[in-house]
Amino acid sequence: MVARLALTAAALFATCPPTPASEPGFALRCAKILTCDEDDTIVNRGMILLRGDKIEYIGKPVEVPAGYRELDLGAVWASPGMVELHAHVVGPGFDINDMVYPVNADLSTRPSITPSNSLMRMGTAAGVTTMFLIPGSGTSMGGFGVLFKPKIDAGYEECVLRDPGGMKAAQNYNPQRGAGDVGAGWSGLSWLMEEANNRAAAAFAQGRDDFGLRNLIRVHAGELPVLIHCASAEGVANTVRMWKVRYGTKCVVSHGSWDGYKAAGFAAKHGVPVNHGPRTMDYSRFFRSGRVVGGAAEYTAAGVPLFSLNTDSPVVPQEELFLQGSMSARLGADAYQMLRALTTHPAQSILVGDRVGSLEVGKDADIVLSSGDPLDPRSRVEVVFIDGEIQYSRQDDGQWF
Amino acid sequence: MKALQTTLSTGAAGFALFLALLTPPALASASFDDDDKKKDADEEEEEEEDKDRWYAITGGDVYTGTGAVLRGATVLSKNGKIEEVGFDLFLPEETEVLDATGYRVYPGLVAVQGTSRISRGLFAAEQFEPADPSLAHDHTHSDDNTDPLHPDDDWESAAKSAFATDDDYDHGDASADTQGAAEREERPDFEHGFDPFSSYLVMALSTGITTVDQSGVAAKLKRGEIDGVAMKEKYLATYAWTSSSRKDVRAKFERASEYLREMEVYEQKKKSNKELKEPSKKGVDTSVVDVLEGRKLAKFNSNDRDDLLTIARFAQQYGFRPVIQGCREGWTVAEELGRAGAYAIVTPRTRRPKDERLVRAGGTSIENAAVLHKHGVQVAIIPANTGIDLGGITGRDLLHFPVEAGFAIRGGMPAAAALAGITIIPARILGVDHRVGSLESGKDMDVIVTDGDVLHYQTFVQWAVVDGKLVYDKQDELLFHHIRPRPEPPAPEPEPEAPAEDHDESDEEEGHHDDEEGSGDDEEHEEDDDDGDEEEEEEDEGDGEGDGRAAA
Amino acid sequence: MITTTILLGALSVAVPQDKTELPPVYALRVGVAETVSGGTVENAVLLVENGKITVLGEDLPVERGIPTIDKPDWVVMPGLVNCYSRIGLSGRGSSSFDPHVMASDEIYPRSSSFMGMLEAGVTTVALYPAGSGIPGQSVALRPHGSSLDDMLLRDSAYLKVVLRSNVKSKKMLMDGFGKADEHGEKVEKAREKWEKDLEKAKKKKKSKKDDDDDDKKEDDKDKVPEVFTPPDADPKVQPFLDLRTGELTALIDISKAADYLHLLDALGDEEITFSVHCELRDDIDLYEITERFGEAGLRVVLEPEVTFQPWTRRDRNLPAEFVAAGAKLALVPTFDNVSSFGNWRVETGHLVKAGLDRQTALRAMTLEPAEVLGLADRVGSLEAGKDANLILLDGDPLEPSSKVQMVILEGKNVYEYEAPYSGGKQ
Repeated sequence: MVARLALTAAALFATCPPTPASEPGFALRCAKILTCDEDDTIVNRGMILLRGDKIEYIGKPVEVPAGYRELDLGAVWASPGMVELHAHVVGPGFDINDMVYPVNADLSTRPSITPSNSLMRMGTAAGVTTMFLIPGSGTSMGGFGVLFKPKIDAGYEECVLRDPGGMKAAQNYNPQRGAGDVGAGWSGLSWLMEEANNRAAAAFAQGRDDFGLRNLIRVHAGELPVLIHCASAEGVANTVRMWKVRYGTKCVVSHGSWDGYKAAGFAAKHGVPVNHGPRTMDYSRFFRSGRVVGGAAEYTAAGVPLFSLNTDSPVVPQEELFLQGSMSARLGADAYQMLRALTTHPAQSILVGDRVGSLEVGKDADIVLSSGDPLDPRSRVEVVFIDGEIQYSRQDDGQWF
Repeated sequence: MKALQTTLSTGAAGFALFLALLTPPALASASFDDDDKKKDADEEEEEEEDKDRWYAITGGDVYTGTGAVLRGATVLSKNGKIEEVGFDLFLPEETEVLDATGYRVYPGLVAVQGTSRISRGLFAAEQFEPADPSLAHDHTHSDDNTDPLHPDDDWESAAKSAFATDDDYDHGDASADTQGAAEREERPDFEHGFDPFSSYLVMALSTGITTVDQSGVAAKLKRGEIDGVAMKEKYLATYAWTSSSRKDVRAKFERASEYLREMEVYEQKKKSNKELKEPSKKGVDTSVVDVLEGRKLAKFNSNDRDDLLTIARFAQQYGFRPVIQGCREGWTVAEELGRAGAYAIVTPRTRRPKDERLVRAGGTSIENAAVLHKHGVQVAIIPANTGIDLGGITGRDLLHFPVEAGFAIRGGMPAAAALAGITIIPARILGVDHRVGSLESGKDMDVIVTDGDVLHYQTFVQWAVVDGKLVYDKQDELLFHHIRPRPEPPAPEPEPEAPAEDHDESDEEEGHHDDEEGSGDDEEHEEDDDDGDEEEEEEDEGDGEGDGRAAA
Repeated sequence: MITTTILLGALSVAVPQDKTELPPVYALRVGVAETVSGGTVENAVLLVENGKITVLGEDLPVERGIPTIDKPDWVVMPGLVNCYSRIGLSGRGSSSFDPHVMASDEIYPRSSSFMGMLEAGVTTVALYPAGSGIPGQSVALRPHGSSLDDMLLRDSAYLKVVLRSNVKSKKMLMDGFGKADEHGEKVEKAREKWEKDLEKAKKKKKSKKDDDDDDKKEDDKDKVPEVFTPPDADPKVQPFLDLRTGELTALIDISKAADYLHLLDALGDEEITFSVHCELRDDIDLYEITERFGEAGLRVVLEPEVTFQPWTRRDRNLPAEFVAAGAKLALVPTFDNVSSFGNWRVETGHLVKAGLDRQTALRAMTLEPAEVLGLADRVGSLEAGKDANLILLDGDPLEPSSKVQMVILEGKNVYEYEAPYSGGKQ
């Protein structure tokens, strides 16, 4: 392992010689760099160079090029900025559910978003650098969410990673509450969603436009992902069956709570990513396993290809996203895999893996420097970069979290 | 030593209290052997039962909770009390031994609040424990005796209809009342409702909690028995400190201290003047007298800076040490609180933004616990949810008690202080620090054995021992036995290293891994910045390391 | 005089209106007798005389002239004893302290439930007063007769106590004994007074003898009784005095393992005879106290149910666990209604399949509940001298396919199987 790490570091060093900067850059000295790249590269006592909004170099320390600001905070660990796929912290009012119609395929959270609101800022300060700000699950198709980089004191346009970022659908439980008519049961809900999906799929197949379903058609075209709120084993299985097996969309199971992990094998078989949380533990008199079961341990053991964790913020405060990883590691999952479940996996699930989620040359400079293991509640976040800019610095801003 | 300094600074009353707190353990250890001999002599019949019960935990790294770390030491107990902590102890032949080689040994954790289900069982109606202490009006819970399985059972009226009325049941003897019951040793009411088989009790033990407050009772989590479960009752007297109630509280304290002054004069003069009348007790609140004389602690549920300041001043004026639950803005007035010798019960993660209309600092801070501690406040830590949350959200309830202490460290609190915040300091607040909260001779053998640093997020309690009896074994309960199952003890030589410390050899900076625990008492050193970069277990290498740690 | 053939003929055409009349003396010859007290006897012959079993044995010859029911395929077992029921009673109780209340005051003899009970083979039943404190004393009945006097087997069969882990419930029991202590003191005082009075009276008499017999009249009025009669105890106290002397036993209902510890705590040094009833439900934790029951040789009264280990779907056969630990086991039907009485044997059979010893299971429905009621000398097993309370079945009592062919209560035929009406000719 150590040998392999050394080799990778050497390779990086060889391919990316630092060059003088024309844009402002940073040189970060780190005790440990957890890249979360495909090779799980970990660099001990290394350096990261940033220029502009991209990562320029990762490897053993080099001479700091001219014009680069050197950050040496002692023994800090660098890890990729975390990616939250299930965030509702759009603004102070939680304006996330439009409850008139059960299917709102073309709504968007865009108008609801208040950039840099207090809930979002806490998330940023805790190292969450990408948020999928999505509609609530009050209706079965809540509309489209925005992939958002929660920069501090920045306007909406500066923060958007992708708009629309993807759709939010809700397969069971929550949308039933407001339905009252068809949709108060699972079969009605499924029927409503299939009706909309059939229209969109037909429009896509025939290459025609359908006013009101334009974005859903893009989902069926595979351009945009869809995140589906569902819980319990039947809910997870229904979701996989409808959105993957039947319509072949790029779908992500979200929540998958309670005994949802019992359908993990089915999701794995069809290659559907799972975005688990905020409930990550199963121990109930209803399901009666008698064991405290960690959902993450079960999903990863079943071979779900891209397993990620969420907070459903503000259900769990946005700044505690990392704790979802810590607690999942406590309950039997592999700790390093849980770091990936907070970074690379969600980024790839939502189709932005080429830009964020890992520390690699050429990727967005979204970096978290912390005083130790990023999953350990005792470690403090020292500095958070988004797009190569310092968004939060404990030293300068005081400790927010 | 730190405690002593703090106490001295609070003045004579505080010092007296401190002595009061110190004396019981000393007494307990001194008189222990005598008691035992007497017992032996007195009761020949029950010889078998009177045989000394020895229990030892050997080979572990013992974190005594007093600042010391004894690697590979033994904790030996006799009849439920710690006899000795040290090396190369002589173990009597009949000693029951728990081999903790490769594990860590800590005092059982102490929670200053906890769901009533812990002591009342699975089917008990859960008493409301407010997530935010500031929402609590008073800590005096109504004792709910209804049995949810038999909701018709109305024990309240039953008791009345039983013998409460002498009208329909005339014995001609007015003094009779409940004589039959009274002749027997009085059992605290709390114990009458205790369920020593409660599954929530097992869950609390699985977290490492061996003492928990239950509606004003410091309860020891014994399994299978009800005797001696209530260690202390109603040690905390809660006073509402609101703009409207403050005046009444002041008046009560004024009247009580006036009475005490009069009593002092009376005691002095009554020898010479036998006719002297005892001062009137009219309007004297006995709980306040108890507070002023150090028999109880006064507790306030307060968060706002101004409230905290007035409490500090009030406490200094009357010479008592206040316990402040909530204490959200404590970090803004930590110096004053420290000077008043305050205890604080805090939830480091609590979040309440500052009132933007105010110019001053305010709102919550993750550094609250650390700042309070730095200024000499004795900080007890409690999670936001003092229930046991089985709904699926993790890391915020009593089942993850030590995690909250981890957040105190995140805010800059030294690890030893954070550990004290879930052991000895809550024990002081509950008035049971002479019995639990640290591993010292004469104290109760309430011990947990963990597979790593108790404050690390992956650490599990492997065994819990209460009163020198094994009450929890991770591998014997369904709860967590499947998660990183404990390997069978190695047959020959145990591995030399503690399990949490075997990681990537390239990480030299971890050499002082445990030091912060040992040196926690001298927090004058600015070691805070260094605290963070220990504990880098799991991330070091690729897959499988999470398991490797506990498996060692 | 009835011959076997006539008897059989009568059986085949039996309709409920006119059941087979059984003579005062008759014999029973069956394939198997589950005696409960003496194991299983094959080719058993029983002699019933005036409602009692007088002879029981294997393959005994029957004296000529004694009418005999000859059923080589049938099985006979003692009538079932349900020691814990409120069937047919409608009173509602509170959680008050009423140890003096008698369930017998509540009996409605013509309740249809009693007939249903006999059909299920229950020939002895104890009904307890409603309520969840200390609601009173139960009554043991034969479920047959038109008046309480006809039905009554034993009043004050046991004192029912409900004990829960809370201070008020425990104090109720402790206070009961406390009051009994007070009564004892009162009696003691009265005795002292009586002794003094007697002394005085003797002296007076002596002095009187010397004097004239002037005040003879007055003397009679103040005459001290020769024998001391203690003052009557309050009706609420008497049951506790009786518990101490053993004249009364208790059936104590608990709801979880902890209640038992609190029961022992509440009883303290009191030595009384009691059994413990607990309603079985999923997640019940009684396995925590089986050993303690075994050590104390206590009797537990349970439903024939397999429960779950708390929080799991793992089965626990608590009745079997109690037996394995050395406790005595009595069973009661799962629900207190006639159809559940009918399923009682079969549900007990499930426990046997799950590991409960078969003989123990049979005993748990008969002799053990009879012990609870203090009626073990009369009912609960097939023994010479006991009441001829018999169930005749056409197969193993614990098998669902076996049906009750005939129920005999104290020698009399009280139920006979009737084939379901299937239309057409009768």
